[in-house]
Amino acid sequence: MPEIFIDNKRYEFEQPGKVLQFMLDNGLDLPFFCYHPSLSIPANCRQCMVKAGMPVFDKVKGTFELDENGERVIRYFPKLMTACSLDLADGMVVHTHHSDELVKQAQADNLEFILINHPLDCPICDQAGECPLQILTYKYGPEGSRFEHKKVHKPKAIQLGPRVILDAERCINCTRCVRFTDEISKTHQLTIISRGDKNYPMTANGKVFDDPYSLNTVDICPVGALTSADFRFKARVWEMNQTPGIDISNGKGCSTWVWTRDNLVMRITPRFNEAVNDHWMPDSGRLSYRIFNENRISKPWIRPDEKEQVRTTWNNAELTLREELDKVKPPEILVIGSPHASVEDSYAYKAYFKSLGVADFYFLPHVIPGSGDDLLLSDDQAPNTRGIRALGYSEVAGDKLQKLVASGRPKLVFILNDDILDRSDLAPSHLEDAYTVYLGTNHNSTSRAADLVIPITTAVEHAASYINVDGRIQRTVPAKETLYTNRRLNLEMSMGRPDHYGTKFDNWVTDANRIDCIPAWEFITRLNSGSDTFVWESSRRILAEIGKKIPAFQGITYEQMDENNGIQLKLEQDSEVNTI
Amino acid sequence: MSETKSFNAKDLSEIEKLTAKYPEKQAAVLPVLWYAQDKFGHVDPSVQKLVAQTMDLPEALIYGVVTFYTQFYEKPMGKHVLDVCTCLSCQICGGYDILHYLEEKLGIKAGETTPDGKFSIQSVECLGACAYAPMLQVTNDKYVNHLTREKVDQLIEDLKAGKQPGFESNKMPQHENGSD
Ligand code: SF4
Ligand code: FES
Ligand code: FES
Repeated sequence: MPEIFIDNKRYEFEQPGKVLQFMLDNGLDLPFFCYHPSLSIPANCRQCMVKAGMPVFDKVKGTFELDENGERVIRYFPKLMTACSLDLADGMVVHTHHSDELVKQAQADNLEFILINHPLDCPICDQAGECPLQILTYKYGPEGSRFEHKKVHKPKAIQLGPRVILDAERCINCTRCVRFTDEISKTHQLTIISRGDKNYPMTANGKVFDDPYSLNTVDICPVGALTSADFRFKARVWEMNQTPGIDISNGKGCSTWVWTRDNLVMRITPRFNEAVNDHWMPDSGRLSYRIFNENRISKPWIRPDEKEQVRTTWNNAELTLREELDKVKPPEILVIGSPHASVEDSYAYKAYFKSLGVADFYFLPHVIPGSGDDLLLSDDQAPNTRGIRALGYSEVAGDKLQKLVASGRPKLVFILNDDILDRSDLAPSHLEDAYTVYLGTNHNSTSRAADLVIPITTAVEHAASYINVDGRIQRTVPAKETLYTNRRLNLEMSMGRPDHYGTKFDNWVTDANRIDCIPAWEFITRLNSGSDTFVWESSRRILAEIGKKIPAFQGITYEQMDENNGIQLKLEQDSEVNTI
Repeated sequence: MSETKSFNAKDLSEIEKLTAKYPEKQAAVLPVLWYAQDKFGHVDPSVQKLVAQTMDLPEALIYGVVTFYTQFYEKPMGKHVLDVCTCLSCQICGGYDILHYLEEKLGIKAGETTPDGKFSIQSVECLGACAYAPMLQVTNDKYVNHLTREKVDQLIEDLKAGKQPGFESNKMPQHENGSD
């Protein structure tokens, strides 16, 4: 097998590739800025320099030339090479800063150059704490700068587009952002203008950087030159907890990081998932973090006799609901599921009503034709359409739904987290004759039309799985506490440094922002407390139960999903319909 | 500025010919921009847009190229553009003195154009004539070398009189004694 010697240690490689990527794959450290595994390689930052050479091969003898000690004679390239663009070659010898003083010096010198005109305004820079320039300078840079002159000044706080702000002075002209718009989003909206120490990225004259994926440039910018207009100055990186999640604002279900502070979601960024979204995600998914914080339903709401909705207790909500259930016969119950609800919630919801004798389970698809693209946006606006189809919910169009409701047959209507009034012909008046129960996360036109509103958890408050448009099942992890969960007790919740070592007040400046809600499946378990059929302890148990009943889900566990960033299910035909 | 610019059929066929010379159309950006600048006298945003549309390339790319070279004019310029080199060698030999003298003489700053539209001054980077520093270039064409105030005065006179500077043959210092 071909071999390469890095810092005098032998490694084998199978695939052709570049030295830097090979080193990263093998957990070796080398500073770099412009290289990005998903973009082309311009080798323009010059930070990844190494000393490299090849053994001298004696063609006549057919052997490697050896020196007096019996070691291979190495012919080094005359200059240091950029590891990001250097091809792996059999027998190649590479020296990094660990074994070569010149490389070490070059890394420090290069950083000194890069920092000549850099404003060094880390204390007020959003990138601080997650800034490659800051980190690499700390690790590899010189102690100080010998540059005593006035720095070159460039424009600051330029609104490049609705979501991205540029500080040109901080830019190190790595061109990652330009390459992103050229190679990934293909909008070609950015370019580097001017030259020398005057250059920085810009849009064409009068053009706005409104790329639907523009915020990815903020992630890949190795300095604080590009920042998010929305997140800017909201939180320092080290104050937040970072929890893996998935994007529930779209059918693609990009893998995400959910960043929380004081129990609010501060931002959402993409998490690498080769099978779904690579390093990227659409801007719309990131900005959807608001639904976790704002306009949340907290505590049950009830409408006493045609009046305004008022808050009520869980006990009262449960009792009222039982009374209403006692009043009706199964055919008089209309059960509407939701492509926005998780697999577990949808299963529990359906299983419960099925046990009562309800036969039909409907859902209103949330598809906006033409809104998707061939990158990471699907027409489907819901995270779990495939999931609830697999669970046996049947699709119903808006007008049909209206007829079903208006037929006067349903006396009790259950709606699971979905603003169906907003995207169908259904009007609040149609629901007037029936008792309507809404289990939801946020106040909306449907919740406002309901007689009883049960607050349930969002994707960042529960562990639950969702099946994306491509049939991949992925799960969420609680990132945000509800009134009934606790970061220290729930082993699945991530703990930041202040959580581990600080006092409560180091991080949780306020204890507010905890929503009084429970997972839908838990509420259903409560409703059913008399019986012992549907008493689930966790969403894990529910998934295990689904696995026993539906072949496609067989053997699927959260652990497997965690390990593989989701699992591709075989859902060729959505044939599991009504098997449970 | 607001009148819409366009290429006529002849322009388009010329551009076609230029583009055909290269394996990729991106490589033809420079010659096409030259062509456009010859036609319009500058490549301001409206011309950049026209070039981008004609070549079916991103506008941002054209913008990047135009701003990279001081030889491309991002706005209408005077009849004579004086590119005074203020890069290292010229700077040491008094490039800035020449620039400031010129600025004073014409009553404009670098980057500006005289009200009569005759002269524009730019401060530019090395033009590869360090041995003849300080120097300037006239409208992307002739170099005027070994500048002194008198030489600048003369140049302005000449240009006003419609006389372009001639080609100056300069010897390298080591050849100055006549030996080769
Ligand atoms: S703005 Fe950031 S990503 Fe873009 S070129 Fe500058 S440093 Fe690189
Ligand atoms: S990473 Fe920038 S030159 Fe290699
Ligand atoms: S520095 Fe002026 S021509 Fe080189």
